[in-house]
Amino acid sequence: MSDIRNSNPGGEDYEPQVTASGVDAVGLAAGGSADPLPGEDKSYSQGQLVARRFFRHRAALTSMIVLGIIIVVAFTSIGVGDIPGWWPKDYRLQYDKIGDGAPTWEYPFGQDTGGKDYFALVMRGTQFSLIIAFAVGIISTIVGTLIGALAGFYRGWLESILMRVTDVFIVIPLLVIAAVLGKTASSWGILGLALVLGLVTWTSLARLVRGEVLSLRERDFVLAAQAVGTGPWRIITRHVLPNAVGVIIVSATLSISAAILLETSLSFLGFGVQAPDTSLGTLISDYQAAFATRPWLFWWPGLMILTIALCVNFIGDGLRDAFDPRQNRTKD
Amino acid sequence: MSYSDTLIAFPSRRRAASASKGHPVLKFILRRIGASALVLLGASLLVYVLTINSGDPLKDLRESNSQNKQQLIDQRIALMRLDDPWYERYWDWLRGVGGCFTGNCDLGVTVNGVDVLGLTQQAASSTLRLVTVATLLAIVVGIALGILTAIRQYSGFDYSITFSAFLFFSLPVFWAATLLKEFAAIQYNNWIADGHYAPLTIVIVAVVAAFLLQAVLGGTRKRRLLTAAVVFAFVTVVLFVFNALDWWRNPMFGVGGVLVTSLAAGVLVTSLVAGIRNRRALYAALTTAVVGTLSYLVFAQPLFNSPSWLLLAGLFVLAVLVSVGIGAAWGGYARKQAMLITGITGVITSLVVVVDILIVHWSGFLGIKSRPISTIGSQTPNFTGDFWEQVLDKGTQILLPTILLTLVSVASYSRYTRSSMLETLNQDYVRTGRSKGLSEREVIVKHAFRNALIPITTIIAFDFAGIIGGAIITEQVFGWKGMGALFQDGLNAVDPAPVMAFFLVTGIAAVLMNLLADIAYAALDPRIRR
Amino acid sequence: MTTLDISASGPATATGDAVLAFEDLTVTFKTEFGDVHAVKGIDLEVRPGEVVALVGESGSGKSVTSMTALGLLPRNARVGGTIRVGDKEVGALDGRGLRNMRGNDVAMVFQEPMTALNPVLTIGDQLTEGLQLHGIAYGKQATARAAELLAMVGIPEPERRLKQYPHELSGGQRQRVVIAMAIACDPKVIIADEPTTALDVTVQADILDLLRSLKDKLNTGILLITHNMGVVADMADRVAVMLKGDLVETGTADQVLNHPRHDYTKRLLAAVPHLGSGPGQFGDVAPVEAAAEDLPALDLNNLVIEYHRLGKPTFRAVDDVSLSVAQGEIVGLVGESGSGKSTIAKCALGLIPAASGSVSILGTGFGKLRGKELKALRKRIGVVFQDPASSLNPRLPIGDVIAEPLVVHKEGDERSRRRRVLELLDAVELPRSVYNRYPHELSGGQRQRVSIARALTLDPELLVADEPTSALDVSVQANVLKMFTSLQERYKFACLFVSHDLAVIDLLAHRVVVLQNGRIVEQGPREEVLHHPREEYTQRLIAAAPVPEPLEQRRRREARHALLNKLGEDIAELHVDDDYERPTPRQDEGGNSSGLGGLLGGGS
Repeated sequence: MSDIRNSNPGGEDYEPQVTASGVDAVGLAAGGSADPLPGEDKSYSQGQLVARRFFRHRAALTSMIVLGIIIVVAFTSIGVGDIPGWWPKDYRLQYDKIGDGAPTWEYPFGQDTGGKDYFALVMRGTQFSLIIAFAVGIISTIVGTLIGALAGFYRGWLESILMRVTDVFIVIPLLVIAAVLGKTASSWGILGLALVLGLVTWTSLARLVRGEVLSLRERDFVLAAQAVGTGPWRIITRHVLPNAVGVIIVSATLSISAAILLETSLSFLGFGVQAPDTSLGTLISDYQAAFATRPWLFWWPGLMILTIALCVNFIGDGLRDAFDPRQNRTKD
Repeated sequence: MSYSDTLIAFPSRRRAASASKGHPVLKFILRRIGASALVLLGASLLVYVLTINSGDPLKDLRESNSQNKQQLIDQRIALMRLDDPWYERYWDWLRGVGGCFTGNCDLGVTVNGVDVLGLTQQAASSTLRLVTVATLLAIVVGIALGILTAIRQYSGFDYSITFSAFLFFSLPVFWAATLLKEFAAIQYNNWIADGHYAPLTIVIVAVVAAFLLQAVLGGTRKRRLLTAAVVFAFVTVVLFVFNALDWWRNPMFGVGGVLVTSLAAGVLVTSLVAGIRNRRALYAALTTAVVGTLSYLVFAQPLFNSPSWLLLAGLFVLAVLVSVGIGAAWGGYARKQAMLITGITGVITSLVVVVDILIVHWSGFLGIKSRPISTIGSQTPNFTGDFWEQVLDKGTQILLPTILLTLVSVASYSRYTRSSMLETLNQDYVRTGRSKGLSEREVIVKHAFRNALIPITTIIAFDFAGIIGGAIITEQVFGWKGMGALFQDGLNAVDPAPVMAFFLVTGIAAVLMNLLADIAYAALDPRIRR
Repeated sequence: MTTLDISASGPATATGDAVLAFEDLTVTFKTEFGDVHAVKGIDLEVRPGEVVALVGESGSGKSVTSMTALGLLPRNARVGGTIRVGDKEVGALDGRGLRNMRGNDVAMVFQEPMTALNPVLTIGDQLTEGLQLHGIAYGKQATARAAELLAMVGIPEPERRLKQYPHELSGGQRQRVVIAMAIACDPKVIIADEPTTALDVTVQADILDLLRSLKDKLNTGILLITHNMGVVADMADRVAVMLKGDLVETGTADQVLNHPRHDYTKRLLAAVPHLGSGPGQFGDVAPVEAAAEDLPALDLNNLVIEYHRLGKPTFRAVDDVSLSVAQGEIVGLVGESGSGKSTIAKCALGLIPAASGSVSILGTGFGKLRGKELKALRKRIGVVFQDPASSLNPRLPIGDVIAEPLVVHKEGDERSRRRRVLELLDAVELPRSVYNRYPHELSGGQRQRVSIARALTLDPELLVADEPTSALDVSVQANVLKMFTSLQERYKFACLFVSHDLAVIDLLAHRVVVLQNGRIVEQGPREEVLHHPREEYTQRLIAAAPVPEPLEQRRRREARHALLNKLGEDIAELHVDDDYERPTPRQDEGGNSSGLGGLLGGGS
């Protein structure tokens, strides 16, 4: 089948299955200057097309809304820092226990053993977990993109060094290096922890970006840019990376969900968030033994982690489909 | 695309493979080992430096109130050589590891003066057992699910598996472990004390089974309904009969069961690999199943009375050889295919035999251990029982952590396999196969599957280090004294020797897995081989 | 649209004769943007021993039509009308019936021989598969029969080939294997979907010879799907022209190619460049005005380019090539795949380094330049690549794409750049409204125009064009070539024009350089090289290129065969022994792949 993909009236490749099975592209025949332009006046950039496809992915859209609600509730309910929220109870105060502290209208998530309001505590943990996850996602995306792009574009000794460094990080189990570094950094507060976790989770993105850049740099438009004398920095930032943005965004999303789980695992093992800070992981760890007696102390933080990670994963899936409508990129 | 993606991701190694002259695969593997050794060296240095700087190794002593505090501190400083510069300590550790090549390993001592080598050997065996079993299971189940979901793309089955996969890799492992302990162990143990299903439970189980099977088998609406009805009726009847026989506490299977199961396996394997219309292959598989069952009768005496791992392994090898022999004898024009079929049937028959023996021992085992599924430890302390009861004990101990580790990996493998299968099913050569008149089964098994496996090997090898890492948590939750505990205790005490031992085992395991993947890659893809 | 059928449709064309017949065929694809009517009710039939060419440009629905004969359309396709293969009606068959028919009654030859073969199975496996499936031969017999088939299609050492994998064979050999697979079960009709499009001309001529002998010797009917009018003239007995899902014209090859009735056919034929007609087909090319003492626009001296590969000996892609392009001159660089022509183009652009020798642009050598000077030199060269799908950055609107060189060289301000872009859009005959569009909204031809506009942004003295029209449909190619010649006349740039298509080179080059395996075989003025070639390789190349006129093509074909005979080479044809026994597939109930066949006829 020919390489030509004719444009279609809607301005989209609308026949993935058709092309995939080797049937002629069912578009309009190309006709030189007589070729009509797309009928619509509105012109869609790639980004707009991606957005349109994303919003058609129901699971991703739902996840987006749920995650949005969680974020808003987590930050507005108990407030951030000195700014008070709308939730009347304070996570630091111990209240009189109602019964054995099971969930009631007054304490929807119940109370912990000392009488603290568990809703406020869980919201506090969610805040910390979210901050860490997003910070890790951002840091690891920046580092991974930078290393992958440099290695893929420059090749040669720079690539060798960068990829060997990546291999060194890959051969150490993630949880191990995260635990060792987390133990060191946990005393620096959650942003320190996030920084450290970001510095160890960039490897898979770096490899993905490198692979993408390796194929992009052979594309004709990059060669054309080189032939015209475009400098390497401009080529990377204007021609290569914008076209790798799909891989980067999808991977960044998935690294956020990985970071949530990693943070909770570390906190559970005792190498992550340290008291007086709290996270969803430390909550589960603290109340693990309470499962038989006060199951709500166990369920809420776990469900919260599960919901956040699930939402982020579905958003990642929706983004993957949106960026690559052929739906055949392997999962990272 | 995905295949070329892998090519792009590993250009140096792949190109190197296709490039060298002489014995390309061997040369390629040697070069890979060399490169991996360097990477391991770099990583070990990194881990060492990070570990010794992760805290104060004297913290607990400084805070203690004991009278000989200073003496203890001096003692520890001397033991851990805290006054020596770090590079000397690292160098000595490296020398000790280098000694492993000459037969005198020295992995150092822990902060309490215990020899780490001994600790590691103990811990590694239990951890690697757990991880290996989980990985193998995950590969088989994950790939099977991946293929099924790819074939039934956009079906209800596909959607439910996809959703479950997302659920499982969004699951915090330690949290899921607690749930598993509660529902799979404690509740089951409570239930087995009585061992009867309530009628409502039976109906629910039957409905779920009916739904799943019709979704997997597919077909027209009428056929699906029929499948569901048959499955529902079958499961309901069987469960009621089991109730009546008190089967769950006194299970029996018997030679008849072995025969029927292995015959069914033979038919299934034949229909998958060669098609049920290939009578030669079918007869070969059925012969294997019958011969397997007969030899079970012959070897029943030693199997029940004087079993040992050596005997089992010997019999297993024998079984595989005989099965392959049967395939060769029956094979005819498609000898290789028949041998593959009988080989697989032979392995399945052997497993069924072992399962039957275990089932026979179940009620005895229940007598010794009334709460069979354990939540803590890798074996029951002071457990006394014969060989098979020991096996059952180890099995029930490893059950929960294995399920947990497997679930997460199954989730990702099934997704990889699904996308890889979808990718290959869109290739031109699949269309060529169809245009020749091949059936869907032949297209999938012969043309698509093998090509789809190629990228998956790399991904599985890549995941292995992660699974070992995940085992740390699993072991902690289930109270296994394995590598995870070694690592955790070491890191808590800022004690490099056990942490490095952990790293050594996982690092070498990861490198070996990658090597295996490379060999599998070369075996699967002729373009790499020559 | 009405179908003009001027072929003699006497009693000989009774439907009973046809091995493949479409009656009122319609195909509709359900997509998320509504239904797409790919085929809108066509009638066509193929008789035994006849080649029917189905011609059309991309998107005309010709491949979709062919796939319906095998029942191999994706699930979102709805097929209407009737399709008959022999005496079977495809629509009425169930799954097993369809599978029984495929390979047995109708077989397929695909365009891309590399991807059409499974890379992880041996040639033998893939050949015997069909034989065993349709119960023709089993085990050793099947292997022997497979070897026989390979020998028939002219593959030397068939036994050894059976154990090899597709990647170990050349493109032409792979296509022969695909043809061997297609004839394995002696089908009544073979559908060849662009069987030679991915191949070099000399290989194409061989494969066409092979297909022709196939219908002569086995009396197989062939439905040939192609966009190449030369191939049609060479092969077809009858021709059907397809446009947007409709058949607009059918008739004998002579009727359609020499006396076309329908406007579209006329336009299509007028758009085909004709080897031997020289310049002037699509606009005149200005004569070179450069004086002898002027510096050449491009001068390559003893150029050697090598690829270093890990663990393998260095591959010399270009070996001791010297050529020059005078100012205002178009030099055509021709050669088959692997001849190093694109490598030379990339080296001339400074994208890959020369191992030895020199490249100089208007007297300035590429070798030692760095930084600013290099950038200044690059300003004087423009480039157009082959693939319109990948030569424009999909993230930038067209205006930015064309203005990019100005930005890189910091020329002009926002407003002057915009002016320049609009001026260029006019020059390449694109509407100004394209300015804010994105590349994916444009057709292939439009994108290639944008590429050319971008190449001309900085008024280069040298343009390097690497197969700029090869990926385009003929009518689009004609328009682009027309525009190209007029632009060259206007801007007077020198051009290194790389192409595998001799006819294209013939209509616009001043001089021609012929490459083979990285070395120059022959170079000189167009007239000399293309019309009076001295070297054997050039002669062969020219002899193998088909022209879109049946009688002339027949003469050319015979001349080529004479040339090959003179050179002592075989003409590709099916080698059928006198005692060749036609395979008899088991058509009985369940005969398909029945293992009992193996029991009875097994080789053990």
